[in-house]
Amino acid sequence: MLDLLAQTGLNAVYAASYISLVAVGLVLIFGVMGVLNFAHGELFMAGAYAVVALYADAHLPFFVAVAAGLVFVGLLGLLMERALFRPLKDNPLGGLVASIGFLMILQSLAVMGFGVRMEHIPPVTQQVIEFSEKVRLPVARLYVIVAAVVLLTALWYFLKRTRFGWALRASAQDPEAAALQGISITQTARIAMFIGAALAGVAGALTAPLVSVNPHMGHSVIVTAFIVIIVGGVGSLEGAVIASVVYAVVHTFVTTFFDGVIADITGLSLMLLVLIVKPTGLFGSRERA
Amino acid sequence: MFSRFSRRTFLKSTAAATVAASLPRLAAAQDKVIRIGFLAPLTGAVAAWGKPGLDGCAIWAERINAAGGIKLADGDYQVEFVSYDNEYDPAKARTGATKLIREDGVSFIMMLGGDTWPGVQPVADKTGMLFSTLLPSDLSPETTTLIAPAEVHPIYNVTGVEWLAENKPDLKTAVMCAQDDALGLPSVATYLAAFEAAGIEMLDDPLLFDPATTDFAPVVTRLIANDPDIVCLDTCYSDYVHPICEQLFQQGYKGQIISCTADFYDQMIAKTSEEFMEGFVFQFPDFDDPALNADTINFADPNGFYAEYNKRHPGQWGAVSWEYASIMDLWKAAAEKAGSADPEAVMAAMKDGGKGDHAFGQADWWGSELFGIDNALVGDWPVVVIEGGKARVKAFKSIPDWYARHGDLLVKHMTAYDQMWNQRS
Repeated sequence: MLDLLAQTGLNAVYAASYISLVAVGLVLIFGVMGVLNFAHGELFMAGAYAVVALYADAHLPFFVAVAAGLVFVGLLGLLMERALFRPLKDNPLGGLVASIGFLMILQSLAVMGFGVRMEHIPPVTQQVIEFSEKVRLPVARLYVIVAAVVLLTALWYFLKRTRFGWALRASAQDPEAAALQGISITQTARIAMFIGAALAGVAGALTAPLVSVNPHMGHSVIVTAFIVIIVGGVGSLEGAVIASVVYAVVHTFVTTFFDGVIADITGLSLMLLVLIVKPTGLFGSRERA
Repeated sequence: MFSRFSRRTFLKSTAAATVAASLPRLAAAQDKVIRIGFLAPLTGAVAAWGKPGLDGCAIWAERINAAGGIKLADGDYQVEFVSYDNEYDPAKARTGATKLIREDGVSFIMMLGGDTWPGVQPVADKTGMLFSTLLPSDLSPETTTLIAPAEVHPIYNVTGVEWLAENKPDLKTAVMCAQDDALGLPSVATYLAAFEAAGIEMLDDPLLFDPATTDFAPVVTRLIANDPDIVCLDTCYSDYVHPICEQLFQQGYKGQIISCTADFYDQMIAKTSEEFMEGFVFQFPDFDDPALNADTINFADPNGFYAEYNKRHPGQWGAVSWEYASIMDLWKAAAEKAGSADPEAVMAAMKDGGKGDHAFGQADWWGSELFGIDNALVGDWPVVVIEGGKARVKAFKSIPDWYARHGDLLVKHMTAYDQMWNQRS
């Protein structure tokens, strides 16, 4: 039983890692730009396809492909900011609808470029860390966990300790006051969009060898991310990380000890419970921040 | 189900399909043409059970047309496939069926079925058009113009379990996982009946997961927690079979695996190891298998078909690559017997005598107990095992024989999962 608990705990840590990367990016975009980016799951998908193209097809080293995926999806974020969200900045609903359109464009591009089928990505490594006969952590999963810790720590440092980070937070808390202080709202929006998209892209790139990569893989990711940011509090980065951990632990343990369908119901029930008890989410405030 | 499908391969296959589709039109200037509708998902998550079938049909049509076409009472006809991508959406399937009948004048429509059939059934009722499905769970007493002549999913899965019990009697316990959908649940009931009939104990209730699941580590952790002799993957889509097998490998499982499908098993071997995949049991052979050259097989030149398919679509061979083509063999024989492409006449000729030539041997029109109508063609089905990195047919086993001995168990489990025809809404 202890082995089962330990293995389930490791599974939960992995799940929390990639979910938090996606959710934090989504929260960052919403916090600074006030737009719910429905195409965020497809940015995750784009990161995965970057690994397909560069690692599986072009045989570049895996981490080169991941880095390229991060930059590529970050640039996609910049494109979205310039082409979709900036022209529609006074119309939050317009941004949301535009992101749904962009979602469909990205899916169609993936189908046109790679076809409809699951992509085969060779394993990065088959090494496994064996804690006991029944408690094992594949090294490919460890990469995701380490990357999540490093990137989220770096993001925290950037937001809390750098001038750009302060500008970003100021823009998120009160765009008009920030503008009066000389902060470029357009510039902070670009930075937020690049970082938010890049986080989704790197999550997709890192997990690509571990999941089924196909043009529709973003759907389940965005659903999970929305649940997480509602539980954590829309606009709260800390809330997104903590809610990712809570959701991953609950979902993983319920899947293991009951089944996956009950786990999904439990996850949604958790979201409903939070909405009823604390509609702003566990760490959210009435104003976005 | 899903595999490497590079941009180049996609473009090549699309170009080839376009050329293949246009060739019969050129021929139409000189010859009479029969149009056959192909109404299946060609894009979207379920496309892998549509597109490879259309690719197989293109090869079939070229072969038949080169051999003189379909010989009816009023002359020889070239055959042409008209495809419509229903994206596995019932409303689009209904639109497609109407378009294929009214605008394209097709004589027969092949479908994947499943979730799309309810959208099409009113069109079938109104027009009397003959339809085929790969999923006999679409059958009911009301579906009088719908046939399931290629595969009787999931009933044939009993043959794999029966073979396992006969050949590896030391395997005594099993666990199972499945996606919670219209494909997974009847298969769960079938495997439960098969394991019970074989005297293999289920260590746990089947572990159901949401079809949107992407991380299978928790599912696998639970599956192997009690050291089962057999892990059964039910009729999981390849999107699930591949990561589940990879997780089984990474979490140290060393027992037997059985699954309905193992599409692109070479990729599974690449992600695990040849040793890990050795002995993996499933139900769909590669058509280069020597066992398919037996006289009892009713699929013309299976080895040549497989070679041609792989030449045109490298690495894309899957469970449905041959099935739609085999349905066309059956339809062609019935149309030639009837001397007409009229749906009613073809259906009558096809079911004449209660027997038909299934790809894997002569079979019976069957199904009144399970489906409420004898519109499923059921006979022998192959049991396939991976040996030395290659799938090989180990036996052909009779589904009707198994049902005669254990049909009560199947009905019991199907009823428990609300999968009998009179329980479906």
